[in-house]
Amino acid sequence: MKSVNIVGLKKDRKALLEHLQNSGLMMIKKSDKPAEGFSKTDMSSQMQIFEKNVTVTQQALKTLESFAPEKKGLLSSFAGRREIDPDEIGVIATGAGEIIKICNEINRLNKQLADNTAEQVRIKTALVQLEPWQKLDIPLSTDDTKTTAVFIGSLPKQYDEITLSGELAQENPQLVFDFEIQFSSKDMTCIVLFTPLSQKAMAQEVLRNLGFAKPLAHTSHTPKEKTQRLNMKSQKLFEESEEAKAQIISYANRREDIKNTQDYFRIRADKYNVISELDQTKHVFALSGYVPEEDCKALKDMCERVACCYIEFDEVDEEDTPVKLKNNKFSEPAQSIVNMYSTPSHGDIDPTPILAFFFYFFFGMMFSDAGYGLVMIVAIGIILKVFKPEKNMHNNLKLFQYCGVSTVIWGLIFGSIFGDAPAAFYNAFTGADITMAELLPWPTLDPQKDALLLMVVSIAFGLVHILIGMGCKFYICFRRKDYMGAFCDTGLWMLMLAGFAILAVGMITTKLVMYIGVGIAAASALGLVLTQGRHKKGILGKAIGGIASLYDITSYISDLLSYSRLLALGLTTGVMAQVFNMLSTMLGTSIPGIVFMVVIFIVGHLVTIGLNALGSYVHTMRLQYVEMFSKFYEGGGKPFEPFSLNSKYFRTKNSK
Amino acid sequence: MNGLFFALLGASIATALAGFGSAKGVGSAAQAAMGVLSEDPSKFGKMLVLTLLPGTQGLYGFIVAFLILVNCGVLGGTLPTLGQGLAFAGASLAIGIGGMVSGFAQGNAAVSGIAMSAKDDKNFSKAMVSITLVEIYALLSFIVSLLVVISVPGINI
Repeated sequence: MKSVNIVGLKKDRKALLEHLQNSGLMMIKKSDKPAEGFSKTDMSSQMQIFEKNVTVTQQALKTLESFAPEKKGLLSSFAGRREIDPDEIGVIATGAGEIIKICNEINRLNKQLADNTAEQVRIKTALVQLEPWQKLDIPLSTDDTKTTAVFIGSLPKQYDEITLSGELAQENPQLVFDFEIQFSSKDMTCIVLFTPLSQKAMAQEVLRNLGFAKPLAHTSHTPKEKTQRLNMKSQKLFEESEEAKAQIISYANRREDIKNTQDYFRIRADKYNVISELDQTKHVFALSGYVPEEDCKALKDMCERVACCYIEFDEVDEEDTPVKLKNNKFSEPAQSIVNMYSTPSHGDIDPTPILAFFFYFFFGMMFSDAGYGLVMIVAIGIILKVFKPEKNMHNNLKLFQYCGVSTVIWGLIFGSIFGDAPAAFYNAFTGADITMAELLPWPTLDPQKDALLLMVVSIAFGLVHILIGMGCKFYICFRRKDYMGAFCDTGLWMLMLAGFAILAVGMITTKLVMYIGVGIAAASALGLVLTQGRHKKGILGKAIGGIASLYDITSYISDLLSYSRLLALGLTTGVMAQVFNMLSTMLGTSIPGIVFMVVIFIVGHLVTIGLNALGSYVHTMRLQYVEMFSKFYEGGGKPFEPFSLNSKYFRTKNSK
Repeated sequence: MNGLFFALLGASIATALAGFGSAKGVGSAAQAAMGVLSEDPSKFGKMLVLTLLPGTQGLYGFIVAFLILVNCGVLGGTLPTLGQGLAFAGASLAIGIGGMVSGFAQGNAAVSGIAMSAKDDKNFSKAMVSITLVEIYALLSFIVSLLVVISVPGINI
């Protein structure tokens, strides 16, 4: 990584920034204060406009998606962003205004739709309330006449003419009244009641006692007329909504343009963000940042081609220098796994090559089926050929393709090709009774029969894995000239683990080897007791610290045991595959039996692949992160994030 | 009297109890994941991974059950003696109970992990690794059950 400073003329600013953004070569350094003699320009108002436009297009796309869903292939997500010519951005820019208008129109229509829906719900409620009043031939809000008080409303009980007049008379015998029952049901009676105006207060009193309530819908039309009007309105709203929907759908063919415009504004917002970071004077601007060593020349050439500028490179090696991982073809795919954990910090070594090897190795051991591995290799090969995915996706797919190779190798070692499919089908069709071990011409290791052996092998691999992790720690300490840390904290433990390993070998070979192992382990234990308390105060503190450190052996043991998952997951794949083979040959070799066989075989093995590939991936990752990285890796570095086209839908041909 | 009943009992214990643990774990994880998906359907892949993590216990139980069936004369092997049948039943308790309880625990961890990675995609790998920390106990149970089951036919009891 090198630091880079560019000073250029202001008139070239646009061209230079655009080229920097397209090429994605350089990471811009942010600083709070401008350098002396320079000032910064505030671009926040422009950026706000761009960001608002991005939001507008996002909303419009969402609306479009809900009314006219985009047809997408199942695998289209592999394809990534569309590749366009850098000049096309200019074309998009000229159309942007129109597209934003369209987006605003789509959003307006969508809002209208929402309003209409709410209005229709309101109408529906009003209609329900009007339902009992259909027979009434005066408006619900009819007022008193010169001599007569009119009460229109409902009572919360069922009445007929006789019971109601009885009830009213009982409440107040003096009340003179006449009424009409409009509607009566189990818990509601709608009435119109007339009394002389002089008795209005009395009537109110009586009605209140009976629980009289005025209808909610106030209208100057008769209920029937009102219902008709509401129905018409509802119909009109419905038609309006349909029209709005049709109009939204008619914009579906502009979806691509909207997407492009969204990206265009996103890119511009990024660019203006950088402009507001620039140190500027009246005529020049200065820009500083980082560039990977191998891209220096490309950056220099590009800058000098498009602008009149001065460019200088400098060595940097500081805490906060961004880190870009660089690896060969074999381990590059595993970079994403490292980055998912954390970018290496300044003091770390790049763990990618070691991680890559063990990732492929352990994944293969857990997935361990030649058939499945082959499916992975071929399927990914086809996807890579057909969709030509972008770099990140390409690397992720490559990761699994390499894992597939390792899976094939382990599958052949375990004698597993779609489980025991060859043997199972051979037996089903010929009636023979052979096993995979007999069928395959090479010696195999059956995890079901030799589980114990395989467990020992798994833990042995684990030991190697952990020792390599500790070796890295040793190297890091050594590089930092922390010799005590290297030899005492790490080296002695490595010796101790090696001693135990030799001891274990000795237990099955000769006594002599065993004694050597015991000797090494004991010596390193003694060393640990003597050195581990060295930071403590006082003789007693040092002694206790030293002895207590031996307790760490438990964490090493649990780490080692954790590798037994290599056996467990390998076995899971094998047994699941075997179960589906058994199921598929269950109905024999008649014609329907063969159809059944094919269906169960395909479905069953797809399920097995899905479940076990996921399990293998997750557990391989865990072994790397928890068991190995904990031994040496610190992480927490700053990733190299270049100023580039941070777009969602398109990329230019030369951008990364 | 042979031990077939006990062998089959063992197979049932292994499948059912471990499956119970996984079902509950995956169930609660799936509920949490659906909550996240209703907000952001594009997270489906990641949510699926986190949801499936507590599902392995059920598989382990099933595999132990299958190996018992292969070794006890139902899908192959010879009929077990009474002692062997009891040994199968005993072995299956490890993955049955260990799988069940770790399934619950892993389900809870998965729910939190889903909440965590819903907030920020960058938390995904940390959530995933933290959830698999629980799994080691299911694995240990599985390996104990497994080692016993495959060695029982050779033991003369």
